[in-house]
Amino acid sequence: MKTKIYFIGIALAGMRLLSGCHAKEEMSYSADPVTNIEGLWQIIDTRYCYIEDKGIDWSAIREEYVAQAAQIKPNDQVALFDLCAGMLDSLRDGHVNLYSAFDRSANTAWFDTCPANFDSRLQALYLQNCRVAGGLYYNTIDSGRVGYIYYSSFSNSFSAGNIYWVFKAFEQCEGLIIDVRNNGGGDITNAYRLSSPFFTENELIGYWRHKTGPAHNDFSDFEPLTADASMVGSKWKRPVVVLCNRRSYSAANLFVNIMRYAPSARIVGGTSGGGGGMPMSYEMPNGWMVRFSSVRMYDRDKKDIENGIEPDVKISMTSTDKDDIIEKAIQLIHEF
Amino acid sequence: MKKKEARYCVNREIVVPLHRDNVAYMKKVIGIILLLFIFLPLSAQEGTYGTEGEPVSAETYGQEHTNVLKIHAGYGRQIDTYLSPMAYKGWQLGLGNEWWQAFRQDTKLGRTGRLANWGHVGRVALAAGRLVNTAQSNLFYSLHIDAGWGAFYCWKWIDDRLKVHVGPYLEGSFAVREHGSNVNKIVSFDVAVEAMAMGGVSWSFYGKKTSYRLNYLIRTNLIGFDFLPEYWESYYEISQGVPGQARCSGPWNHHTLKHELTLDLQFPHSTWRVGAAHELNDYGTKDLHFSHNQIQLVIGCIWKYRINPHSRL
Repeated sequence: MKTKIYFIGIALAGMRLLSGCHAKEEMSYSADPVTNIEGLWQIIDTRYCYIEDKGIDWSAIREEYVAQAAQIKPNDQVALFDLCAGMLDSLRDGHVNLYSAFDRSANTAWFDTCPANFDSRLQALYLQNCRVAGGLYYNTIDSGRVGYIYYSSFSNSFSAGNIYWVFKAFEQCEGLIIDVRNNGGGDITNAYRLSSPFFTENELIGYWRHKTGPAHNDFSDFEPLTADASMVGSKWKRPVVVLCNRRSYSAANLFVNIMRYAPSARIVGGTSGGGGGMPMSYEMPNGWMVRFSSVRMYDRDKKDIENGIEPDVKISMTSTDKDDIIEKAIQLIHEF
Repeated sequence: MKKKEARYCVNREIVVPLHRDNVAYMKKVIGIILLLFIFLPLSAQEGTYGTEGEPVSAETYGQEHTNVLKIHAGYGRQIDTYLSPMAYKGWQLGLGNEWWQAFRQDTKLGRTGRLANWGHVGRVALAAGRLVNTAQSNLFYSLHIDAGWGAFYCWKWIDDRLKVHVGPYLEGSFAVREHGSNVNKIVSFDVAVEAMAMGGVSWSFYGKKTSYRLNYLIRTNLIGFDFLPEYWESYYEISQGVPGQARCSGPWNHHTLKHELTLDLQFPHSTWRVGAAHELNDYGTKDLHFSHNQIQLVIGCIWKYRINPHSRL
C-alpha cells in the first residue's frame, strides 16, 4: 500500500512539473506617457474594427503621438489625457471614448457639421399631455388620427406590456410615428424589441463580422442578423414612419436599419448617425479605460452601417412654429 | 492512563445515539447556526465531534454524516486579460458546506467488507468579491460558485489518531466577473469541469477538556475541460452564442490547486473549525491569461448526524 501512496505522490508532482507558465502575463501599472500612448495605440491597432475603412495611416499616428508623449512630464495626467484623446479623435468614431477619473473624451465630428433636424421646443408641442410607458413617451396627434412615440434613449427599457398599452391607446389611429431623433443608442436588445411588432416573421436585416485576429482585416465570415418577430406579441400592421436625424446613433442606427425592412414602414428625416460597430472596452497601463468599436455591422445588402443610413424621405427642418419632419410623417401616413 | 482517556474521547465522539430529544435539539441548534452564519461568524452546535473520512464502527448502524458549514473571507488577486491587462486585488467573502460520509454503513459490506475504509465527500461553495485594479481606477465584481464530489480510501494509524485519505474528485465551477465601471458592463465567464486528485491527512490530539484535530486537505486538477473566450470576441457576441473555445484542460494548460490547513476544536457542546485556505486557479492561452489566487481565513462549525435505515419511508 505504501508503494501506491508513493506512486500517487510522484505522479502528482510530475504533473505539476509538466505544467508550464502562460505566455501572456498581466501588464504592470505605469504612468509613463510613452508607455501609455504605446499601449493605447496597440489596443486600437489590434482590436478596433474600422482602421482600414477610416483611411488612416495608423503607423504614422503612432510615430507622431509617441514623439509628443515623450515631451510630456510623467505626472502631467491632463496633458497625457488630451494627447490620448487626440489620437483617438483621429478615428472619427462616436463609439471611441477614453475614460479617466477626471474626464471623458468623445468624438462629435460625425454630427457637428450636419443639420440638427430636431428642436425639443417644437417637439414638445406634439407631446402635450403625453403618457409614458417604460421609456416610451406617447400621444395621439393630428386630431387623434396618428399615434406618436418618442424614444429618447435605447438605454431606457420597456416591456412588451408597455407596447401593448401604447398600441391600445392608438387603436383608432391610421398610422404610427416612432421618433428616434437625438437618440444616442443604448441596449440593442431594445432595438430588436421595439421593431418586433412590425414583423410577422423573423426576417434577415443584416450581418455582422467580428474580429478573429490582430491584423486590421482579420474578420469572421458574415453572420446573419434577423428581426425577432416573437419578442413582442402585439402587432402593428398599419403604416409606421420612423424619424431619425444625424444624432440617431448606435442602437438607434440599428433600429432604423431594422425598420427599413419592416412592411409598411418608411424612414423620414436626415441621415442617421451611424455607429454600426459594437463597442468593447479595455484598459491602458495607467488604468484609464478606452472604449472602441470591435464588431462590424452591415445591412441586408452587406453595406456597412457605420456611417449612417439614408432615409426614404430626406427632409430638413426649416419652420420655426412646427416640426417639419413630424408634419411630413403625418402626410405620408395619410398618403399610404 | 492518558491513552485511555483519549480512547474514551474517540469513542464518545462516535457513539452518540440520536434519540428524539437529541434530534429536536439538533434541529433547533442547526437553525440557529444557519441564521447566525448569515450575520455573525459565531455559532453553537451539537456536541459531537466530526471525524472526516472515518468509517463508522461496525457496531453502529445507519449512515453517519459529518457536516462542515463554514464561512471564508480572504484577500485575492485576479487576472483576467480578456477584461483588463492589469491585476485586480481585493476582498472576497464566501459561504461553503461540505459533508463527509462512509459508504453504505447500513450494509455488512460497508461496515466490515470491501467498502469499510471507503468514504465520500461533497462540497458546495459560493463566494463574491470586489476587486480593484492596481491603478485604483476600475472595479471587478465577481461571483464564484463551485460544487464537487469525490470518493476516497482512508488509512489509519496510531489508534486512529493519524489518518490519511486519497481519492478522485470531480468538481464543476462557474465564475462571472463584471467590469464595474465600464459603460457597457462587460462580463467575463469561467466555466470548468475537472477531474481532480484529492488527499488529506489529519492528526488528533487531546487536551484536558478539549479535543483537537489538525487537518490538511489538498486537491489538484488532473483532466477536464474549460471555456475560454476568443481574444477578439466581444462580450455581446458571447452572450449571443458565438462560440468561445471549449478545450480539454489539465496540468499542462490549467492549474487548479486548493488546499487548507485547519484545526478542529471540540468543546463540550460544540465543535469548531478554524484555519487558512489557499486557492489557485490559473489558465490561459497564448493571448489570454486568467488567474485567481486567494488566501482565506476559514471559520466553520462541525456536526454529525445519522440517518437510521429503519426510519426510511
